[in-house]
Amino acid sequence: MKKLFCLLLALCMVLSLAACGGSGSSGSSAPAAADGEEAPAASGDTLKIGVISPNTGNLAAYGTGIHTGAELAVEEINAAGGILGQQVELVELDDRADPTECLNAFNNLVSQGIGLIIGSATSGATSAITGPANEEEVVIIAPTATADSITTEDDYIFRVCYADSAQGAIAAAYAKTAGYDKVGIVYCTGDVYSSGLKDSFSAACAEQGIEVVATESSAALTTTEYTNQFTAMVNAGVDFVYAPYYYDVIGPYVIPQARAAGYDGVIMGADGYDTTPDYVREADAPVFNNIYWTNHYFAGDTSEKVTSFVKAYKDKFGSEPSAFGATGYDSVYVYKAAIEAAGSTEPSAVRDALADTSTVYECVSGTFSFDVSGTPVKGAPVITFKDNGDGTIGMELVDVVEATDLA
Amino acid sequence: MKNNKTARGYLVNTLVIAAAFILFQMLTGIFGGEGDFKLVLVPSLWQCCYLILLAASLNLVLGFLGQLSLGHCGFMAIGAYTAALISLACERAGVFTDKAGLVYILIIFGCIIAAGLLAAVTGLLVGIPALRLKGDYLAIITLGFGMIIVNVINNLPFCGQDGLSQGSAAASLYKTGLGFGSKAKVTYLWIALVVTIVCLTLMFMFVRSKYGRAIRAIKDDEIAASASGINVSSYKVLTFTYSAFFAGVAGALYACANSSLSTSSFAFTNAGILNSTFVVVMVVLGGMGSLTGSIVAAVIMFFVNYQIANGSWVAALPPLINGIFKYPMLVYAVVLVIVIIFRPRGIFGTYEFSLVRLPEDIKKARARRAAAKAERKEAASHG
Amino acid sequence: MSTFIQTVIVGLRLGSVYALIALGYTMVYGIIRLINFAHGDFIMVGGYTIIFTVPLVLALGLPAWAAVLAAIAVCALVGMGTEIIAYRPVRKKGTNMSALITAIAMSLFLENLAQAIPAIGPNPKVANQIFAAGGFKIGSVTFEYTTVITIVISAVIMIVLYMFTQKTRLGRAMRCVSEDKSAATLMGINVNHTIILTFAIGSALAAVAALMYMAQYPRIYTTLGSDLGIKAFVSAVLGGIGIIPGAVLGGFVVGLFESFTTSYISSSLADAVVFLILIVVLLLKPAGIMGKNVGEKV
Repeated sequence: MKKLFCLLLALCMVLSLAACGGSGSSGSSAPAAADGEEAPAASGDTLKIGVISPNTGNLAAYGTGIHTGAELAVEEINAAGGILGQQVELVELDDRADPTECLNAFNNLVSQGIGLIIGSATSGATSAITGPANEEEVVIIAPTATADSITTEDDYIFRVCYADSAQGAIAAAYAKTAGYDKVGIVYCTGDVYSSGLKDSFSAACAEQGIEVVATESSAALTTTEYTNQFTAMVNAGVDFVYAPYYYDVIGPYVIPQARAAGYDGVIMGADGYDTTPDYVREADAPVFNNIYWTNHYFAGDTSEKVTSFVKAYKDKFGSEPSAFGATGYDSVYVYKAAIEAAGSTEPSAVRDALADTSTVYECVSGTFSFDVSGTPVKGAPVITFKDNGDGTIGMELVDVVEATDLA
Repeated sequence: MKNNKTARGYLVNTLVIAAAFILFQMLTGIFGGEGDFKLVLVPSLWQCCYLILLAASLNLVLGFLGQLSLGHCGFMAIGAYTAALISLACERAGVFTDKAGLVYILIIFGCIIAAGLLAAVTGLLVGIPALRLKGDYLAIITLGFGMIIVNVINNLPFCGQDGLSQGSAAASLYKTGLGFGSKAKVTYLWIALVVTIVCLTLMFMFVRSKYGRAIRAIKDDEIAASASGINVSSYKVLTFTYSAFFAGVAGALYACANSSLSTSSFAFTNAGILNSTFVVVMVVLGGMGSLTGSIVAAVIMFFVNYQIANGSWVAALPPLINGIFKYPMLVYAVVLVIVIIFRPRGIFGTYEFSLVRLPEDIKKARARRAAAKAERKEAASHG
Repeated sequence: MSTFIQTVIVGLRLGSVYALIALGYTMVYGIIRLINFAHGDFIMVGGYTIIFTVPLVLALGLPAWAAVLAAIAVCALVGMGTEIIAYRPVRKKGTNMSALITAIAMSLFLENLAQAIPAIGPNPKVANQIFAAGGFKIGSVTFEYTTVITIVISAVIMIVLYMFTQKTRLGRAMRCVSEDKSAATLMGINVNHTIILTFAIGSALAAVAALMYMAQYPRIYTTLGSDLGIKAFVSAVLGGIGIIPGAVLGGFVVGLFESFTTSYISSSLADAVVFLILIVVLLLKPAGIMGKNVGEKV
């Protein structure tokens, strides 16, 4: 009893202290917030841009794409005299695709006085910094965070990729024009990207009057068996399956197993299918037909912008750029355009320039302008795989769905 | 006499905690709650708070009860999602509109307690069947439960995207009602500190109570313990439940510190230090059977991990070491093996830090060192 | 009906891989009572060795699967190294639990070491075709030869291992070590050599498992070990860990349950169901399906 009393006493003291302390700190932080805006000013002659991406861990491939793309862009810009006469320097941090690590990296960049940030790759990690970015008045351009809610809530967040809902809508529109009114979905419940696309695709199907007859799923991206899921699709009698997975699952597992299970219809996916050809066994190449997917850009595009980017990237890094590379590259150029429009590197001025929805950005991943939320309004190329006949797989542009087609 | 001593102990501890708080508030005053203080120190403290709770709560099971549980983060996930969803529901229902005021603070505490309770209930349900097994089997079965919890959360129809929306099952919850921004973290840091101190006090009291003595007896020899009239299985389940409660509270603090949740953060392994494996690592490094050790290990692990990821000095290192630091897990794994080989009970063993006993401990340590020195001298003179 | 057959075949395909890996777990556990968490990572090591040596083997005019010989050598070395560097010192000093934690640390170490090696890196790799494609038809469903080969290999290894531990001198020495280390020493058995041999055999099995895994599921990545290892470990425990035929039985049970859950209950809950089965079995029969309950000595 005495013990308990002592404990209670201790508690009361701590609480009361903490309570006054709490109010004290909030009081003192209020006036300081006003001059906090000046902190992220450009220092000296270099303009620092922060890059947060998952450079180690399971998703390191995305991070590598983003920061190599950004490095290439910075090298080009610096060679051409920089932005507003300032040389650009990238400060790269690793978030391992984890929300907490991403927030730590963000705080670290802000405390160094950096006010322009590119990052991060995944929606889960990026959503951890959208609120703080708004609060700290730091601009964020997300290269590949596609969840709808990333840009809707906050003023300082922009992205160069389209949102999940747009990608789902493009796929649904494609199904509609191709004449499929019954479709199936196979997706991964354990992955944000996959389940986000599944949600947006089924919502778009409901709008377009397409019936989703069968939905099957896998628990995690490490699942190796998809045969049963596609047998279920065959049994449901669908000829169009939306399967939002990543390249390393699509190439070795999903497509070969779907075909082996007797499913011959269309398989449609999204930007995760990018670089699939590197992940296909020679013997499986012949079954890669009737597969369509939407992407940020098409590497085989003949436009001057894309060919020069692909060539420069290959020269510097020795491999073909992934979509992550393209969006990382574009993020830097979007900053360049916005800073030049604003005539200042001040984050709030850059934000105002980015928020101008009439500005058109000509990028590798398409020509677009931002909508009110900060998401690009752009179309998407629909790409298909084709068997080259020698055990490798090529890609072919099928169609470009314009942004106006979706409205 | 003994009571007197205990009372003095509480008084000393309370005074020191109070002094620490005053000092901290003075620091807040000096820094003005801005700059590095807001962006680095406060978020770090938040993270330390939940890591400390997580490690200390696992130590109850791993160190004091002697049972290896590999799914501890599952309980944390339950706590985090419970707190996030309840607060989100309150926000949607209009119970609070801005993140301030008494109602909001009450809701935060309500969420934290609810998170702990739900985690404890899950702990009870998991513990009753699982604790019939022991050793390797228990390790695997708790690992299994940790995975099932995550798997089930992934399949819940209201845990993803913006939360509470209809039919949106996904692995990530983007907005939580009580997710704090940088400023709110400074304002409400006292909540994290108070919750951590209260929970640690409760855990210290537990291990020093008759329950604590009973579970240590169980760890040393289960059969002997049961022969001396200790109900082994009910004590095991009790400890497991108690530990799950604090893991749930840690989860709630996590939900406060992060405005987004994803189940991959609570997995068996991932690229970060918040996962079931690493909690075990912290407990083992700190000392199985020393809450002090868990606290120190959690803080050190956090600090090292943070510095490796964000420290500017890392980039200045020679390329080889810099390259190794890109894969900090390698370093941790090696350190862990070395510690287990040379100090099988962890760095602190079963030592507990106590302010009251501190002078005595220092005296003893001095005496030991002097004795060792004398011995060496003697050996040298003989040699 | 064809769905049913398909489900069974998928179950056998998964099960054959689990069984093969579970054999390695059971082998080591049977002798030194240690859950070798790093066993899954030995498979990863074997897998990468195969990927890197296949071009070499093909250049020598040998069939692709011959790369497994290199993998066996590498895996056995890694396994023995792990035992000598990490497990042995801990076994001398620590308890069962610290041995288990060392195993987890070694698993972390191998996974991250692989990531740090530039030639491997964090990106997954896809192995080329190892066995010729093809199969026979049951109704409208194809039963692939690769699956048949895996099942046959699991069965052969199971029988060989069983005979080895029961009939040969070395095998009897192993069982003796597992029963009582000090008695084994008194009988003139070199305990350390026996344990190293156990690790060499267990790791060599991991190399074979890696080959068969990659023949059916060609993607390999650095954390493959923990994902695959957990399922295989569940199989070993389910069948009765330490019991060689139990591992194979457990593997097929897990594979079939997983497949049937995917087809008939819920595709995303397959993992949860597998663990539920494990929990139920362990509660009813704590030593696994084929295990015998042994009372504890006081």
